[in-house]
Amino acid sequence: MKAKKSRLQKSGWPFFTPSVIIISITVFIPMIQALITSFQSGPPTNMQFTGLANYQAMLHDATFKSAATNTFLYLIVQVPIMIFLALIISTLLNDHRLRFRGLFRTAIFLPCITSLVSYSLLMKTIFAPTGIVNKLLLDVHLIGARIQWLTDPFWAKVLIIFSITWRWTGYNMIFFLSGLQNISDEIYEAAEIDGSSKVHTFFHITIPMLKPIILFTTITSTIGTLQLFDEVNNITKGGPGNATTTLSQYIYNLSYKYTPNFGYAAAVSFVIVVAIVILTVIQMRLGRDDK
Amino acid sequence: MKKFRFKRLLLAAAAVTATVLLAACSSSKGSSSSSTSKDNKTLTVWCWDETYNTPAVKDAIKQYKKENGKQKVKVVTMAQDDIVQKLNTVLSSGGSKGLPNIVLIEDYRIQSYLKAYPDAFADLSSISKKGNFSSYKSAVNTVDGKTYGVPFDSGVAGLFYRTDLIKQAGYTDADMQNLTWDKYIEIGKQVKAKTGKAMLSLDPSDLGLIRIMMQSAGSWYTKSDGKTVNIQNNTALKQSISLYKQMMDAGIVEKVSGWDAGVAAVQKGQVASAPTGAWYSSTIQGAKDQSGKWKIAQIPRISENSKSVNASSIGGGGWYVIKGVGNVAGAKDFLGKTFASSPALIDQLAKDIGAVGTLKDAKSGANYKAAYPFYSNQKVFEDLLSWSNKVPEVNYGSSTYQIEDVMKDPVQSILKGQNINTVLKNAQAQAESAVQ
Amino acid sequence: MRAKRTALNTVKYLILIILSIVSVFPFFFMIVGMTNNSVAITGGSLHFGSLLADNFKHLFASELDFVGSLKNSAIIAVVTTAVALCLSSLAGYGFEIYKTRRSENIFNFLLLSMMVPFAALMIPLYRMFSKLSGTPFQIFGVNSFYAVIIPTMTTAFLIFFFRQNAKSFPKELVESARLDGLSEFQIFTHIYMPVSKNAYSAAAIITFMTSWNNYLWPLVVLQSPEKRTVPLVLSAMGASYTPDYGMMMCGIVLSTIPTALLFFFMQKNFVQGMLGSVKG
Repeated sequence: MKAKKSRLQKSGWPFFTPSVIIISITVFIPMIQALITSFQSGPPTNMQFTGLANYQAMLHDATFKSAATNTFLYLIVQVPIMIFLALIISTLLNDHRLRFRGLFRTAIFLPCITSLVSYSLLMKTIFAPTGIVNKLLLDVHLIGARIQWLTDPFWAKVLIIFSITWRWTGYNMIFFLSGLQNISDEIYEAAEIDGSSKVHTFFHITIPMLKPIILFTTITSTIGTLQLFDEVNNITKGGPGNATTTLSQYIYNLSYKYTPNFGYAAAVSFVIVVAIVILTVIQMRLGRDDK
Repeated sequence: MKKFRFKRLLLAAAAVTATVLLAACSSSKGSSSSSTSKDNKTLTVWCWDETYNTPAVKDAIKQYKKENGKQKVKVVTMAQDDIVQKLNTVLSSGGSKGLPNIVLIEDYRIQSYLKAYPDAFADLSSISKKGNFSSYKSAVNTVDGKTYGVPFDSGVAGLFYRTDLIKQAGYTDADMQNLTWDKYIEIGKQVKAKTGKAMLSLDPSDLGLIRIMMQSAGSWYTKSDGKTVNIQNNTALKQSISLYKQMMDAGIVEKVSGWDAGVAAVQKGQVASAPTGAWYSSTIQGAKDQSGKWKIAQIPRISENSKSVNASSIGGGGWYVIKGVGNVAGAKDFLGKTFASSPALIDQLAKDIGAVGTLKDAKSGANYKAAYPFYSNQKVFEDLLSWSNKVPEVNYGSSTYQIEDVMKDPVQSILKGQNINTVLKNAQAQAESAVQ
Repeated sequence: MRAKRTALNTVKYLILIILSIVSVFPFFFMIVGMTNNSVAITGGSLHFGSLLADNFKHLFASELDFVGSLKNSAIIAVVTTAVALCLSSLAGYGFEIYKTRRSENIFNFLLLSMMVPFAALMIPLYRMFSKLSGTPFQIFGVNSFYAVIIPTMTTAFLIFFFRQNAKSFPKELVESARLDGLSEFQIFTHIYMPVSKNAYSAAAIITFMTSWNNYLWPLVVLQSPEKRTVPLVLSAMGASYTPDYGMMMCGIVLSTIPTALLFFFMQKNFVQGMLGSVKG
């Protein structure tokens, strides 16, 4: 009797059951319905089963292909840059000898709460052909001619990557700053006594100790980038042409901009889900193995 | 000590939550009961611009009060994209709770709604009489002979131009009348050479200008059934794209990204003209220092296309009644006595918000007869309305935006120099599979 | 050695100052925008104008009830944050401390819930909430704040975050607390919570911010105009063909202040070596 009670007490069920129930109702039930929808097509109030038709249609859909290519390009280029930047910044800002620490931290956090409206307005003006950025680059002779940041397919992608990095680095910094507090001072002091350099400490102490949080931010940033919508929709609207459009923007367009095609939109969503699941499993494996 | 303080913080948070929850609870109860009692009586109208169509509804409400003092009507402003999302979400879940009685919908979108939600909208044939409006508007809001909408503003296109810059380039106002696009480009080159300014600004992701050109020849991305994709063998479309390319190649275009950048280019005086919809007028008038420097001419036509006329349309919208919300009779009565029949109201709107109507009777109104100092004393409303009546009828079908997104990349490739016929052949196939 | 250190320090401050300027620049643009008209703002002006009072007057006179929306957003964000922190930290802690094969499977399955684009879930979710009308649960249905809060009151994202944090929570502490006779729940409240202030602070900032900026779901589920949240009102203002950006900038700046303040006060909890001090 006593043994049974203590086993029950030591189980995690009371801790996570409420969350499991709520998430099941608010996410998993709708998710199953969305999955069913992905096998249907027709007018929203009278959808018919069409089997795998929606999934097959994607194979011949040029817009889908360019959206998928762009999305993965953003993912591969942007996520590593951002995570690394956020790591370095939060290490710098963790130093308790640093003056104006709170101000620096708040300043770098500000971009992610800057409203999209003003942020996209500003991005569009400073990256306009005659904007400040081109002027600066011309003045220091980094470029010979004005760059068409917003209307050239290549530079528009660069601009989007810059914009997401600018907006979300401070966000990821929060998780690292919080995680850094779990590393005790003694470890750093020991390293300092051993005479190891700052760089060495960063790579051999900070990064390994932060591993769980790095895994967390990598996975959530992967998800965020694969679901990228706001920045693209506000700065370039996916243009020029479809050069910067993303899968999420395509889902939105299929559901709301065009004649609503919720079946196809759901099918594209599940392609994203499958991609994220695969990437997450890989990241989890990598994060686990050399623990 | 530290522990204790943190716990107290948590307690405080819990207390705040509890009170807020209670407050939220009581407040939500209060308003939900009051809104159900209102539902049967008050008519709700949704539209999307606090400086344009919202005041239009207010003017209509004011006028309607004289006819029917008891009926309450209220207007709610929301972003157009937000309206679109709410309509789709609620209608697709089979209900109409929370939707308005009357909603403003853009001309390009309405056919797709009527197709996707066939039973959602009320038949307005009895109040919205075809012969009373610019004829092209009825191609937009009709399905199987039934009219579902009351036209609001005209999307009639005009060539807004800067008289001073045109003069510097060596042309007169007479030269600007009934232009062809070829001539327009020629003038543009002179403007660029003499003043250094661009003739117009274009957003490479917005094919609005191509739409204007196509419609001037009575053509569209789809054939007149609104379904059959018409790209590969569409002469008007080909001519429009090659004109678009000629403009870009001639160096007379200021490339911009997004609506605001285009507005800024006009207001900062960087461009000599803007070929766009009549509704752009209020935007241009935002640049008060340019008063007296602007005029509006007919939109140019495609010279090689005999069907093309000096009239076209872009944008514009209409009022639609959602059946399931209830009080359809009340909503029809409101629209019937205001937007559907009242020249006085349309005249008032010209003055208050600068909207060009499509009600033919409005032409005798005082504001339609008036000369406007901003436009060098041109009678702009009279002109625009008369052009509006000449706009070729086109069925926008239900796939305009979808096909246009498919078209964006092909247009870019053509601009880069690829062969127009092969590109459009591929585009045709893509569009067909997208539309299905 | 010392000279090298000062040089290094200077470089460090320089980097931080440059990063801060780049980060704050758009915010500065917003503040300048508060004093200008639309033409100046869309032109990218960085000079202060004289329209601050006018812009504020327009903002508060607008029929789109901005002040009301601030109140609505505050209620929703505060409740969401409080509830989400409690539920998610419990779950994240539970998954890590009482790890079993079954709980691992459940956890991995929960992660799936953050991988589906919300756009795909929205319509089924809306249908679910709209079915509540006419049942005893009507008060939780569409057009209530509950309907906005419920889908965000615990998320896989937060559970995952708390779990990753709990990984560095020393398990010996749990064992010794058990020997001291504390119940499992007491261990959570008395031992885990106090040393995890940093995690709670980070989670509070993120949750408040997400809830405050939440757009799509409140848009769809809230119906009466008087219940609109801040992002919905700002969106309605910007919808115009000729938006009054000066007025909007005032609204935007006001709407970012709560999150910025919350961040400033919460980041003080990011102090190194806290865990060490508790242990010792």
